[in-house]
Amino acid sequence: MTGEADLATADALDRTGSGAAVAVRVQDLTVTFPTPDGPLPAVAGVSLSLVPGGITGLVGESGSGKSTLALTLLNAVPFPGHVAAGAVSVDGIGDVLALRRAELRRVRGAKLGYVFQASQNSLNPLKQVGKQLLDLGRSHGVRDRRALLRRARQLMDEMGMDAARVLASYQHELSGGMRQRVGIVFALVLNAHVLILDEPTTALDMLSQAAVLDIIRKVHREHHLTTLIISHDVGVIGDLADRMAVMYAGRIVEEGPTAAVLANPMHPYTRGLLTAMPRISGDIGAARPLPGRPPDLASIPRAGCVFRPRCPLATDGCAAAEPPDTVLLDRRFACYVTAGELA
Amino acid sequence: MIEAHGITRTFAARRGMLGRGGVRALRGVDVTIPDRGAASFIGESGCGKTTLGRILCGLEDFDEGDLVIDGQSMTALKPKERAPHYRRIQLIHQDPYTALNPTRTISQILTDPLRLRAGQTGAGGTWVTERRAQLLELVGLDPDYVLPRYPHMLSGGMRQRVVIARALTVDPVALVADEAVSMIDVSLRLGILQLLRDLRTQLGVSVLFITHDVATARYVGHGGELYVLYRGTVVERGPTDALIASPVHPYTQSLLSAVPVLRGIESPARDRVVPKGPLDERAEVPGCLFEPRCPFAEPDCRNQPPPLVTLDSLGDAPGEAQAHACLHPARRSVVPVPAVRGTAPEDPERSVLPTQRPTEPGPSPT
Repeated sequence: MTGEADLATADALDRTGSGAAVAVRVQDLTVTFPTPDGPLPAVAGVSLSLVPGGITGLVGESGSGKSTLALTLLNAVPFPGHVAAGAVSVDGIGDVLALRRAELRRVRGAKLGYVFQASQNSLNPLKQVGKQLLDLGRSHGVRDRRALLRRARQLMDEMGMDAARVLASYQHELSGGMRQRVGIVFALVLNAHVLILDEPTTALDMLSQAAVLDIIRKVHREHHLTTLIISHDVGVIGDLADRMAVMYAGRIVEEGPTAAVLANPMHPYTRGLLTAMPRISGDIGAARPLPGRPPDLASIPRAGCVFRPRCPLATDGCAAAEPPDTVLLDRRFACYVTAGELA
Repeated sequence: MIEAHGITRTFAARRGMLGRGGVRALRGVDVTIPDRGAASFIGESGCGKTTLGRILCGLEDFDEGDLVIDGQSMTALKPKERAPHYRRIQLIHQDPYTALNPTRTISQILTDPLRLRAGQTGAGGTWVTERRAQLLELVGLDPDYVLPRYPHMLSGGMRQRVVIARALTVDPVALVADEAVSMIDVSLRLGILQLLRDLRTQLGVSVLFITHDVATARYVGHGGELYVLYRGTVVERGPTDALIASPVHPYTQSLLSAVPVLRGIESPARDRVVPKGPLDERAEVPGCLFEPRCPFAEPDCRNQPPPLVTLDSLGDAPGEAQAHACLHPARRSVVPVPAVRGTAPEDPERSVLPTQRPTEPGPSPT
């Protein structure tokens, strides 16, 4: 097992070489998409920091801009989206949005690992997993293919997979949970220290979900990662993340330590999401649906609070201007009405 | 009333592949759903719950056993004669995006089955338009808004409501909802679940709810029976709330242990049951099917399949209602506990959710 030891030291060297632990800062980010009504923001003035070594959860419904935000961390906003304002900086890389194509290619994978939404379906069905791993190495200019395979095997061992079998398998021979694990291996095999997971458990059943969550927790801890996990499921975020951010209509409407946000949600949307969740204990009759429907780009209110049309607490004052963040120790939320509750 | 007796179904393996025979999707399942009743089926992917749902709607044949719909045995009928009976059990499937014809308006989608129905009952054209509006209102949609629109103009939640309205055009006795909310936005899910629950009381239809999510099964199946399926057998069943509160089968316990725990408002349960390894749909064992993955397996579990027995064999059981198929049943604490006021890890002042003004259910169409 000398291979593993080599790899461990290489790992440690890499980390000391890159200086401080990697963390990510998004500042006042706006990403627009062209529409018949002119460019409209899918992400509007969002700021978010990923604490080094922490798991941050980003929760939101479809169309809330959470995937667009995460793709900006790779400077990979899909065409015709356009970063209209803001900055994304990653420790050890600098401003990701200023990187040229060749540099981007280098840092994606090597610094930032990304597990795409539905990654369980994103493997090439015609190639064995091992071959795809070598392709990945080749496209990133990895010389030492043995070390790459060794690292993949080590990661697979850690995740409780039979590495030899998985590397020789085609996509269809693996279960959904296994494919998701392969996605995580691919994201980490080039030694990324920031791991971004977009909907990692969607389409998995409860037992596979629990297993994948355990694995994320384990690799996060053992590889000293900074992790961002994106999900529509408050349960997944509430179980896994140290800090959580709630996204609605392109804005982060609430952010803070997960336990504090869940125990005492301040934004009416966060409150509504929690009340709309059936649970397996407690009073099942207490669950209430959230009225209205999530907006798309065209139907997001152009002025005032974006949640106003669905908000049970909305007043006339909410229509005037977007509520600023109310900051409370390590928490923030954007609501006029509940900010008044604190006074 | 719908009764299934000893339903089995085996899917043949593709010839020449592996040579290990087929997958036994169902191995003798008994289910009884009373009128206005609810039955939920939970289990992981591959447990046979979808196959069972399709058999109950007549979309899939069964190999052995019998299905009795309102006293009429399906095996006693010729295949052609079965259709009108099966029509009374309607399937709501997972994907409301593919369930509706994209080239037809909601009006067209609902009018056709209603015209057929009017032809059978001799009702006139006005009945069709009245009934159409009535059904849409019943599922919480505004007819004036929805009728002229095409499916792509509606949200996933609204589409699923249209699918439910369409299923109701034939006056079904039961709806089979297979993962009916998994593709719908989270803030809209509860509205659909609430609708399924309300239809039981308002129309007297039974609801068969198929899911891997125990919490939604608890919500929709409130007051009904919960069936836990594993590899085509019922391993535990009982009244929904009672079974979730005190399961005795290790598989049920592992499903409940897999439910995420919300930090700050729930405390993890004392015991956590995790199955050993993934599901192997093809491995045949002489004893308990769950034994190879069971963390509590004893040597005698490998001898023969355990029968489904009522709970009083455990000694301290309250009733006949709960049954399990385990030789060594034991109560374990696997359900996360809601934090009581003052015991939440953070913010002891207000650990309970702030009260909210009651809100109107259903989507507002504007």
